[in-house]
Amino acid sequence: MLDGGWRVGIDIGGTFTDVVAIGPDGQTTRTAKVDTRTDDRVLGLLAALEAVDLGWRDVTDLVHGTTMVTNAIIENHMADAALVATRGFSDTLAIGRQNRRHLYRLDLEPKLKPQIPAGRRFEVDGRLDHDGAELEPMSDESIARIAAQIAATGVRSVAVSLMHSYANGAHETRLAEALKKHVPFVALSHRVNPEAREYERTATTALSAGLMPLVGSYLDRLEGICPATTHLHLFHSAGGMASSRALRDLPLALAMSGPAAGVVAASTVARDIGLGLAISFDMGGTTTDICLIRDGHAEVSSDRELGGRPMRQPMIAVDSIGAGGGSIARLDHGTLRVGPESAGSFPGPACYGRGGGLPTVSDANLILGYLEPDKTLGDGLRLRPDLARAAMVPLAAALARPVEQAALGVIQVANAAMMQALRRSTVEHGIDGRQATLIAFGGAGPMHAVAVAREFGMSHVIVPAHSSVFSALGCVSAEMSYSQQQTVRMPVGNWDVAALTAIRRDLRETISEPLRASGVADADIVTREVAALRYSGQSYAIEVADPDFADPEGLGRRFIALHEQLYGYATDEPWQLEAIRIRASVPRERNGSAAPAVASGEARAIKTLPCIFDDSGPVPTPRYRRAELGCDQIIAGPAIVEDDSATIVIPPGASESTDGHGHLHIATGVRQ
Amino acid sequence: MTFRIDPVTLEVIRNALTAAAEEISLVVMRSARSPLLREAGDHSSVITDADGFLISQGRDVPMHMGVMSFTVREFLRLVPKAQLAPGDVWFLNLPEVGGNHLPDVKAIRPVFIEGELAAFAVSLAHWADVGGAVPGSYVANATDAWQEGLRIPPLRVFTADGADTEKLGIILANVRGAAERKGDILAQVAATRAAELRLHQIAAQHGAGLLQAAMAAIHDRAEAQMRAAIISIPDGEYEGEDWLDDDAGGGGPVAIRVRVRIAGDTASFDFSGCDKAARGPVNTTPFITAASAFYVMKALFGPEIQPSGGCYRPFDIITRPGSILDPGPEKPVVGGNHETSQRIADAVFRAFASVVPDGITAGGPTTSGLLLFGGRRADGIWTTLYETHGGGEGARVDRDGAPVIRVHMSNVMNTPAEVIEAEYPLRIETQALRKGSGGAGRHRGGEGLHRVYHILCDDMSVTSMFERRVIPPYGLAGGEPGARFHVEVRQADGKEYELPGKANIRLGPGDRVIVNSCGGGGYGPPAKAQDTNSNADQRSELA
Repeated sequence: MLDGGWRVGIDIGGTFTDVVAIGPDGQTTRTAKVDTRTDDRVLGLLAALEAVDLGWRDVTDLVHGTTMVTNAIIENHMADAALVATRGFSDTLAIGRQNRRHLYRLDLEPKLKPQIPAGRRFEVDGRLDHDGAELEPMSDESIARIAAQIAATGVRSVAVSLMHSYANGAHETRLAEALKKHVPFVALSHRVNPEAREYERTATTALSAGLMPLVGSYLDRLEGICPATTHLHLFHSAGGMASSRALRDLPLALAMSGPAAGVVAASTVARDIGLGLAISFDMGGTTTDICLIRDGHAEVSSDRELGGRPMRQPMIAVDSIGAGGGSIARLDHGTLRVGPESAGSFPGPACYGRGGGLPTVSDANLILGYLEPDKTLGDGLRLRPDLARAAMVPLAAALARPVEQAALGVIQVANAAMMQALRRSTVEHGIDGRQATLIAFGGAGPMHAVAVAREFGMSHVIVPAHSSVFSALGCVSAEMSYSQQQTVRMPVGNWDVAALTAIRRDLRETISEPLRASGVADADIVTREVAALRYSGQSYAIEVADPDFADPEGLGRRFIALHEQLYGYATDEPWQLEAIRIRASVPRERNGSAAPAVASGEARAIKTLPCIFDDSGPVPTPRYRRAELGCDQIIAGPAIVEDDSATIVIPPGASESTDGHGHLHIATGVRQ
Repeated sequence: MTFRIDPVTLEVIRNALTAAAEEISLVVMRSARSPLLREAGDHSSVITDADGFLISQGRDVPMHMGVMSFTVREFLRLVPKAQLAPGDVWFLNLPEVGGNHLPDVKAIRPVFIEGELAAFAVSLAHWADVGGAVPGSYVANATDAWQEGLRIPPLRVFTADGADTEKLGIILANVRGAAERKGDILAQVAATRAAELRLHQIAAQHGAGLLQAAMAAIHDRAEAQMRAAIISIPDGEYEGEDWLDDDAGGGGPVAIRVRVRIAGDTASFDFSGCDKAARGPVNTTPFITAASAFYVMKALFGPEIQPSGGCYRPFDIITRPGSILDPGPEKPVVGGNHETSQRIADAVFRAFASVVPDGITAGGPTTSGLLLFGGRRADGIWTTLYETHGGGEGARVDRDGAPVIRVHMSNVMNTPAEVIEAEYPLRIETQALRKGSGGAGRHRGGEGLHRVYHILCDDMSVTSMFERRVIPPYGLAGGEPGARFHVEVRQADGKEYELPGKANIRLGPGDRVIVNSCGGGGYGPPAKAQDTNSNADQRSELA
């Protein structure tokens, strides 16, 4: 084997670590799935490399996605940090937006405890107004006092969030210089999230400070193992990869690393095939992640919540719902409900035979015949239809239905929850989701995709090549990118092209810096801008891509047209430029598709087993091996296509054909 | 033809109907103009069946949604169905017509499927101004309903052909901030249109007949859930009471009393023992009364109950005409919506204290803590900031109360200081926890808010509408009460005074308004020598 030249994508999920490796020829592809080592993720990563038979000297580029930061936030396992706020505002984290999380549950805590407790929150003098003008200077004595107070706490990480710093970061920068003499990690709010609304910005900055030591030490270990001959990158939430150096300062960029990688891979497929509108559908064991993809680009949102804490960072607008293969079904006051409780990977669904006794979505899939009875999963686990049925019996009795119909009901209810998420992901954007193609992947996605698509009224489903290690594929095909947003607040009546040019130049400088630091030439950096516009009295802005800032009238026309499209009306009121978002990226030279070339041929069914698709009972259903499918062979439903870790269900009335790149195209039978 | 509906289809349709209601809120939040809607979220959404019974709701404000269980039913008493047409959007704000107070304006869109009236999509939005004597339409010393602003009876402002510009003109001519109001109205119309499209999709997919059958089944199921919850309560009579600080007209505290009778799977709430109608605007309506009683039942006995018209079937709500909860159409009501409604909830909670002693929360910020600031910005634009102030939550048997939160009938957010400073002639000098304001106890009440407003413009109108200034949030089981609500004015000329709970004043540049919202009541007797202020913040956060 030649030394070097391999590109490797590794997705470290909660249960499995997936790997996709592409050889120096850009064609040879190896994939594998190994158990995630939650005790030491780096060991899992090494095991993944071993599983595709590669050593460090083979690997030129390694891009990996991880759920580490997601879990740290959700489970609140972050480093102790301190906070410095403007005098009078150190309690902002405890006050929040004063609303409660549960309208009717009095027993539950109405809001989360502040991430940073009062004893580690400090106030500094100096005050700016909303335009960034200094109302009161920041004194040296005050800075010295704060530095001493922080040093006395013993923390290693500090969040600095001063009033109106999004309009002027000078005070924060001065403070940081003093603090860095005492603590290794300082997060500045005007760097982390230069936007108005003090609670959300402070909370985002505090999260960042709590994550910096954690991500720092993980990267230390990773960089210690990874030789200089391998370029190490991580996949970030906004759908690109970033150097480990840049992520030390902005660890929150890893918050949606894992789901974002799958969405980006789906976007690549959508671009390659030329889909105008697509929805990625990533169904795993406990959650299903859904994201809208327009013209080959995933929607990016900058205002999300994770683990109950606001997190304003540009990130792929993934909608996660608590329904997956392990979701438990139960009867509640005459209504069948599925999830959000999950059997997880242990004990897992009843059919795993590890002691789980409650019926799950996977048990239903086994009863209906989609999953192959007695199929052996990765680690020697054999699926047990008898246990699945036994678990479903009480539910069926309560519903007064046969077991098979109860199983059908479980699938339908799980699919209904996904429909709601599909609707949210499309109507929020004023889009008729029925026109979209569903791109299904993840462990359970291809099993449910056609039924969900039909219910929603979609005519076309794609199960892409490598669908079971799709997030790892997203990692390996990623481009390097950084994004940043800056609040501008410029009314159309007060348009200042020169000022905008200066702001954009500064923004471009800031985000290009980490790219240059990893050795990228300026000429190779591509920037893309988005203008966030709103009527002067609104809070939520509408995003206009690739704006021409020299032509405010044209920009206004595009804004009004979009407003009309989204909300069904528009007015001639004055509007304003709320913010500019900029993304700098380095397009990959070798962006060749990792999909395998498929020759023509005629696969034969390996066996035929009964499957149940509706109330009419079992029908004989041929099963095919995915690897044997020939290019352009058309298989009419009912049929099942399987590989080692994925099962694709093609119900009666639907039909499948495989293209030359190994993507399965399924016509659902819905006509539009 | 009758339809039998299976549990699966029912759940699928119910999800879709909930999504339709949530979509109304989403469109209002995203496209409305006034900060009250877009920042604080003071709006709610429901879908009702063709007879006006609630079918689904967004995750909004309990008080609004409770009231909207009645809005369309009362609307239909005045407007025969034959008068409704596809494309209509009717506006309505009369408190006596299934309502609460004038600022909460409902946009009601009848939805037709296959030519038949099938449902209503309703968007309730709190307009930052509906006219009347003072900016923000909170007239603290109002003595009748007409002083409180523009009264809109059921009025068809939009048809399939678009806006009726004459009617719209009358509305906009009678409210302050016409441009902002117009934007809000268009947002409400667009939001209900989005829900209509969703309902059409549901009907196209499942059939109009099945949709109607699903709605009937949703009512039946909610009724069954509520009856099951009531059966869990021992039969008998339970009494509770709470007191308003004053009658907003110079008089003393006003009693809210309830006698709850539980018999099998039915519950009656008799409020006949309440005091007579108040002189000032703390009266409220039987609809608010029912909404408040329903909220308590759901919170105490069945948080998972799906709110729908069926929930109300096992209830009997009795109010005495002429009393503060049933004052008739002539009395002022603007503050009763969020002040008296919370007193009703407190009274009903306390009635059940002996039934579920461990389920009751000690007294908390059962007041909106409302201040309105109306003034002109440096650029000449008139603005009204409507700001609620949360306080400390009451403690419970197993935990401390949370700091600065909205409880029970409301859940409206604050406006960030950075937004206030950018959009209003105000500066926020401090926003902090009000240290030591939580009542002592085995578990402490949560702490209130300390926020200082510095006024930057001439002749700013300031209005207050809050409670718990005189009667503090109660402690439970030996816990101590929380600190009282306290708002202080410090004028630039050195004059200082406490602002009453219901007042309209004028202030100028350099004057300050200092808000100290109430703390929560404690639960259980305090450990010996428990302090009341030092380290309280730390303890409640680290606990």
